[in-house]
Amino acid sequence: MISRRDLLKVAGAAAAGAASPLERSDAPHSPSTPAPHPTSHDRQSSARRPLEALTADEADLLTAIVARLIPSDESGPGAVEAGAVHYIDRSLAGPLAPSRDAYRGGLAALERYAVSSRGRPFRELSPTDQDSLLIDLETGGATGSGAGFDGSSAAFFALIKAHTWQGTFGDPYYGGNQGFVGWDLLGYPGVRTAVVPDDQRLGTKPVPLRRSAYDSDMFNKA
Amino acid sequence: MAQTLKGTDVVIIGLGAAGGIACLPLAEAGLQVIGLEAGTWLTRRDFAPDEIRNNVRDWPQAVQKANHEVPTHRVSATAPTTRASSHPMMNGVGGTTLHYWAQSWRLNPWDFKVVSETTRRYGRTRVPAGSTVEDWPFGYEELEPYYDKIEWETGVSGKAGNLKGTPDLRGNVFEGPRQREYPMPPLRGTGFTDLMGAAARGLGWRPFPGPAQINSRTFQDRSPCMYHGYCNRGGCHVDAKNGTNVTTIPRGQKTGRFSVVTRAHVTGVDVDARGRASAVRYVTDGEEFVQPARVVLLAAYTYENARLLLLSKSKAFPNGLSNNHGQVGRHYFSHTTGASVTALFPFDLNTWYGLPAQGVAVDDWADDNFDHAGLDFIGGGNLWVYSDRRPIQAANMNTFGRAPGWGAQWKAFVRQHADRANTAYLQKTTLPYEDNYLDLDPQVKDPLGFPVLRITADYRDNERRIGTFIQDKMEAWYRAAGATDIIRGPLGTMGLNTHAYGGTRMGDNPEANVVNRWGFSHEVPNLGILGGSVMGTSGAHNPTLTLQALAWRTADHLVRNWKSIAE
Amino acid sequence: MPSLVLVLATAAAAGAQTAQPLTVTSAALKADETIPRDYTADGRNISPPLQWSGAPASTKEFAVICDDPDVPMPQPFVHWVIYKIPGTATGLPENIPIDPATSMPAEVAGAVQGTSGFRRPIYRGPAPPPGKPHHYHFKVYAIDAVLDLKPGLTKAELLEAIKGHVVGEGELVAIYERKPAS
Repeated sequence: MISRRDLLKVAGAAAAGAASPLERSDAPHSPSTPAPHPTSHDRQSSARRPLEALTADEADLLTAIVARLIPSDESGPGAVEAGAVHYIDRSLAGPLAPSRDAYRGGLAALERYAVSSRGRPFRELSPTDQDSLLIDLETGGATGSGAGFDGSSAAFFALIKAHTWQGTFGDPYYGGNQGFVGWDLLGYPGVRTAVVPDDQRLGTKPVPLRRSAYDSDMFNKA
Repeated sequence: MAQTLKGTDVVIIGLGAAGGIACLPLAEAGLQVIGLEAGTWLTRRDFAPDEIRNNVRDWPQAVQKANHEVPTHRVSATAPTTRASSHPMMNGVGGTTLHYWAQSWRLNPWDFKVVSETTRRYGRTRVPAGSTVEDWPFGYEELEPYYDKIEWETGVSGKAGNLKGTPDLRGNVFEGPRQREYPMPPLRGTGFTDLMGAAARGLGWRPFPGPAQINSRTFQDRSPCMYHGYCNRGGCHVDAKNGTNVTTIPRGQKTGRFSVVTRAHVTGVDVDARGRASAVRYVTDGEEFVQPARVVLLAAYTYENARLLLLSKSKAFPNGLSNNHGQVGRHYFSHTTGASVTALFPFDLNTWYGLPAQGVAVDDWADDNFDHAGLDFIGGGNLWVYSDRRPIQAANMNTFGRAPGWGAQWKAFVRQHADRANTAYLQKTTLPYEDNYLDLDPQVKDPLGFPVLRITADYRDNERRIGTFIQDKMEAWYRAAGATDIIRGPLGTMGLNTHAYGGTRMGDNPEANVVNRWGFSHEVPNLGILGGSVMGTSGAHNPTLTLQALAWRTADHLVRNWKSIAE
Repeated sequence: MPSLVLVLATAAAAGAQTAQPLTVTSAALKADETIPRDYTADGRNISPPLQWSGAPASTKEFAVICDDPDVPMPQPFVHWVIYKIPGTATGLPENIPIDPATSMPAEVAGAVQGTSGFRRPIYRGPAPPPGKPHHYHFKVYAIDAVLDLKPGLTKAELLEAIKGHVVGEGELVAIYERKPAS
């Protein structure tokens, strides 16, 4: 049981002027309010965002790939709307820079493989053929095809998948999970710096808080 | 040219769980203590609830020492050697207590007397062949006051299950008798842990909330836990996690007799002409320093403890410091926590928040708490179910054969099941064996050119059999609570681990142990060793509270016997 | 008299009944010849067309398994498992769907795919390591009962489930080889 004294201590620990680190489940959102879908303006603006590491063609191809990994469908938006490509591009310019060569080489090999095996560039294939090709990448079946994957195609697939997941479900601070598309897909109620017993019952769900860990001034930026 | 610094009474190498504890009783007793820590200070502001930083990118730190000294591993002396890409522990003031899970268990009395108790109850032949296990040189009763000390000095929350011999089902009825309660009640439960507790009781088991080195209410002016879900490999944003960085280290500093030196990369321990430890060498920003001391306490974690001894060669110790009996690196093992069990439930568990220490335990199948007659192993495992789940982790969940790993079908599966899976933490009795040991890798070197540690170790039959036995129990528990699908993970091998033991084992016999019953080297009287490396058995519980109790006891012994040890 | 006893004993030892040989052919695959690229990972990787004949009248369902024994593993690598093919079917058309949302072609309605060695319930064609030809065995089983078979069975699970019900068996073996990278 958190006493009022305890609440005041924690509030005092937060930087002055910052939002209180304590979220109560009786915050202004009503449980029936659905998550706002990213507008088409949001999607366009993420497409127009300047690239930091990928070329325009690479970003375009990567977009087509992640669109199959976590598709947008009747159930809701997917990795493209979440900005997974933006996350990858930004990260490749920073902490994931050691993977830039892997992307350069892997995307080029993937495109060669699409043409040699399915007869057209990846973006011109039907969604089913795209999926089939990605499965061949994933299983390593594409490796000995002559497309020139550096090592196993499965390793490149695993790399894209891991980064797509980070870019869809990670904190929006890193450029992905835009509009909290990823967290809403999972039903993850978002970052809270204080969690009360009601937030941990069975049969109820905490109200989604659509905030980044870095929205307040409480933490040094990563 | 190495710069020789002014001498001090005690140097502690490493300010993690063990070194961070020892500084306080020593400084309080009036000794001058210098702590050499390879890492830096971190504060609450460094601990954002950020899964990418903490869990995906593995805590990027300004100081990278451990990650450049990752030990190599092979399952046997004839197997090929592999090397992990990162080290499970971290350098920092507070060490891995900066982000550890903070479960805080006492060992069971049986863990101190595995050989004699197994012999008494089942016969000597039941001690597994090839094991070098010995009874500890003392029993649980000797350590009890130090367990109590750590629990009250740092803040451990829990519920006593055996208060002076009286069992209490609200706690662990299998624990050794304790003289007093915990200083704070246990962390609260959740709807899911309550469900699991009820299911355990339905099976006739005795579930209870586990103890944690985490505040369940305000303690020593620090906040209680906020249960926010980023405790797992995350630092605490409200200082409720009682690592040595927020407890004993600052109190040690307040005495005015304990100074913390950060970014001190220790490279070896010097000895004098009499074969006594005389100084510790370290490097900061490329400059070498020599810190003389009358007593040296080595607390750099199991792997680095063994490595520093092996690297500290001299005329008196040609095979490494304190290694004239060839025992450094021997009796090594790491905790058996593989052979996992993951369950899928047909309803949401609401485990998005919480922390690994917020859970429910069953010890009915741990240690020697049950009759092993007719079984083919000794020891057992702690079953631990907890509330802790982050989004990227959930998105990587096992699909239980119901969907592929990506695509529209995957998306539909995860939409429904993201909050419906749970994986138990199953710590199991692990023993030392003749063929499991640590030495220096003959080929791989760290950036300074020193050989990294090599681990030669694998689980044996006793561990494998416990693994299957505990998986059976855990599956039964999950199903009793309503789980529909169960996945069992492989046991794996004895590679790098956050629970590593041995290499500088404690025991009365210098032919088979590196340190004596007080934690001081048999061969180097003014060299003490702290940490799991002195422990000879693991039990079925985390080592941290035990190694901290041992560290305080070693420090106490040093204070009481200062003249004879420090001369 | 003794020879009759010997024949009966052999039949009893072989199981409930001896399976009749099925003739397995394909509009696209020729026995012991190279599989066309589109049925491999070097092409579209769609499932090939198969035809069979000679199944006994007692046949209620068919199952097909494709595997490659030329892998350096104790068991052949499984490329396809498909079962509950209606007993009226005389073959499988090419390009059996990989998307579970797409229904089976009408002539094989009700067919269910099992789990291959790639851990997916779809056909994945040859993708051998370069350097030597591999043999791909397309095995057809005629089954005398409508069995309660769950989706996603492995080859081993399927064979166990149809044991004692196999009344016809046949196979078509074709090859594929990848050239080493130049």
